[in-house]
Amino acid sequence: MTTNGGANGTARSQLVHLGSERPTIEVLEAGEGAPLVFLHGAGGVPLWEGVLPLLAAHYHVYAPLLPGFGRSTGLECLDDQFDLFLHTFDVVDALGIERPYVVGESLGGWIAAEMAALRPRDVGRLALVAPIGLWRDTSPVEDLFGHMVHEMVPLLFHDPTSPPAQRMLALTELFSDKDDRSEEQIETLIGLARGFRTAAKFLFPIPEHGLEHRLWRITAPTLVLWGEGDRFIAPCYADIFGEKVAGACVKTIPDAGHMIGLERPQPYADAVIAWGSGGRP
Amino acid sequence: MKFSWFHLMPYRWLPADFRERYHSVWVDLPNALYDPVRGHGLYNEYLDMLEYAETMGFDAIGVNEHHQNAYGMMPSPNLMAAALARRTSKAMLLVLGNSIALYNPPVRVAEEMAMLDVLSGGRLIAGFPVGTSMDINYCYGQNPATVRDKYREGHDLIMKAWASREPFPWNGKYTKLRYVNLWPQPIQKPHPPIWIPGLGSIETWDWCVDHAYNYSYLSFSGYKRARKMLDGYWERLEERGAEANPYSCAFFQQVCVSDTDASCEREWWPHVDYFFNKCLHLYPGTSEAPGYRTEASLRAGVVAQAGNTNQNMGRNKTWKELVDERYIVAGSPATVRQQLEELARSLRVGHLLLGLHIGSSPIELTNRSTYLCATEVLPHLRPLWDEYEDHWWPKALPAAERVAAGSYNTAVRATVERPSHDGGEPGRDRVRRRDEVRP
Repeated sequence: MTTNGGANGTARSQLVHLGSERPTIEVLEAGEGAPLVFLHGAGGVPLWEGVLPLLAAHYHVYAPLLPGFGRSTGLECLDDQFDLFLHTFDVVDALGIERPYVVGESLGGWIAAEMAALRPRDVGRLALVAPIGLWRDTSPVEDLFGHMVHEMVPLLFHDPTSPPAQRMLALTELFSDKDDRSEEQIETLIGLARGFRTAAKFLFPIPEHGLEHRLWRITAPTLVLWGEGDRFIAPCYADIFGEKVAGACVKTIPDAGHMIGLERPQPYADAVIAWGSGGRP
Repeated sequence: MKFSWFHLMPYRWLPADFRERYHSVWVDLPNALYDPVRGHGLYNEYLDMLEYAETMGFDAIGVNEHHQNAYGMMPSPNLMAAALARRTSKAMLLVLGNSIALYNPPVRVAEEMAMLDVLSGGRLIAGFPVGTSMDINYCYGQNPATVRDKYREGHDLIMKAWASREPFPWNGKYTKLRYVNLWPQPIQKPHPPIWIPGLGSIETWDWCVDHAYNYSYLSFSGYKRARKMLDGYWERLEERGAEANPYSCAFFQQVCVSDTDASCEREWWPHVDYFFNKCLHLYPGTSEAPGYRTEASLRAGVVAQAGNTNQNMGRNKTWKELVDERYIVAGSPATVRQQLEELARSLRVGHLLLGLHIGSSPIELTNRSTYLCATEVLPHLRPLWDEYEDHWWPKALPAAERVAAGSYNTAVRATVERPSHDGGEPGRDRVRRRDEVRP
């Protein structure tokens, strides 16, 4: 099974069974070279596009999907956030990868940072891309679960008129008042709701569970990437990561909002690849 | 049939341009719009309406729980029920109800409901709603992915706390208590009747059947639209081999009664308009958190468009449309009588919860409607379903054993209010009589 990325090529898909009464996880895979584990944000990986094929040109990219996303199941096996972090190590172990380069976006960035704090010796290198997980009353993270699609788009994208932003905006028609949805639209809607349920299980109502007190434990070389125009999580959070993670390198990307991987994939990929080879982006 | 007079207690003074200026009546509506002095009058006016309903012979008076909104000002229904318990003696107290998952630990619900049952002489009907997503997720921060599981566990704990006569430990997933030992315990044995409000999911129907609970279908869309949903309920009961007892089901209907159909529209339209276009003005972004509904219910809802908070809610409809489509049952006593009978027979419900206060209606209009309903409508409907036994009604103490508020003071006043024996001078060192205290 493959995930179509159009001109960007495709990713292979495999199901990883973690054991009886444990989750079954869909892992998207592409490219060759050193392993890179990509942890997705609250939107999942609907298409193999943006930064993903660019990373796959240099790495063997593994993108495991959280339960509730794609074909992954087993959310009921994960009671709390620590189950979630340990589960992600289970997936890495099941793939036979040791001390990987972990790149996480938003929700995935939070998971990546927590993994690196929880088992510092098991994460080789880290790139946190607009991660959630911290909180300042002076700059509240926007409510992921309290907006309509047309309101989310300008929060997530630097340029709401860009094609990926417009594609997200088109989801609005799924929420029509009229009872005129096609079968395909219904399945898309149910799929979105299933993924969002997973995100809500760990992030509702405030996406903060004490990561800040654990950041000092991280020993992996850490790159922090942020879109300069991120209206969802303000770039001031990048500075906190930079300050609290020893040796972290903070880089902001111009003309990008929260969805850097879709809006500015090339500078994002360049920075991750440079950091991966031991350089500074 | 039995009839409950049910109050939502909306705030009455939302501005004329409310819908244009605010995106929702719930969750994040600034409380700068709330005037507590007006609120003082409103609570008392509303409680008067409920007390009047008792004097007009309604079987129960009902309150419910909502948070952070102008739609219904009862974050604590138990406080309202406590006020009513002291001022009433005949009507049952329908508390529909307490959202179990919001209380930590849930024994708080068991305690307060036991207090209400004891205070009222066993008149409590205990409602256990999951609660709207607005209330429990957005206002009270419960996790939508786990809140139903937490609700079920809370329910099990409350029922065990009510049933047990010895302390017991509770090692739950959401609540851990070394000693559960309820003081007081309810008068009603084994427990007050349990009513479960729902919006039509099969899981809820099965749960009610499994526990022999009343299923209460609460919607504002009226009985025509409810037909399909409740047909499903009765079919499910048949599949499960449960008795198709009309009293196992309650239904909420908003009703306006006036002298004539024409006067009804003239008098009630501003208040009905206020309800459907202001009190139900909801923002879809905070109507339903992801995971609040099960996937099965979501799928059924997407396909059938039923029970979805923003669908079919009566917005922007004319009086005629609301009446013709039965969002409201409104008109002269004859009209209302005919329509409520049609409602009761077609839905097969034994318990009707009547919303006789609507939107911004003041007490004079409301009580007139209550009066006409009680005297010219309900007597004709009461005999319906007489052949069934109502297993979902309080087993209160006999009226003669119920203590009237103030009766203890009355009984002892003469012996209490007399001078002391210590020979003090008159006017000093003695208990002064009440009439002496006054200027």
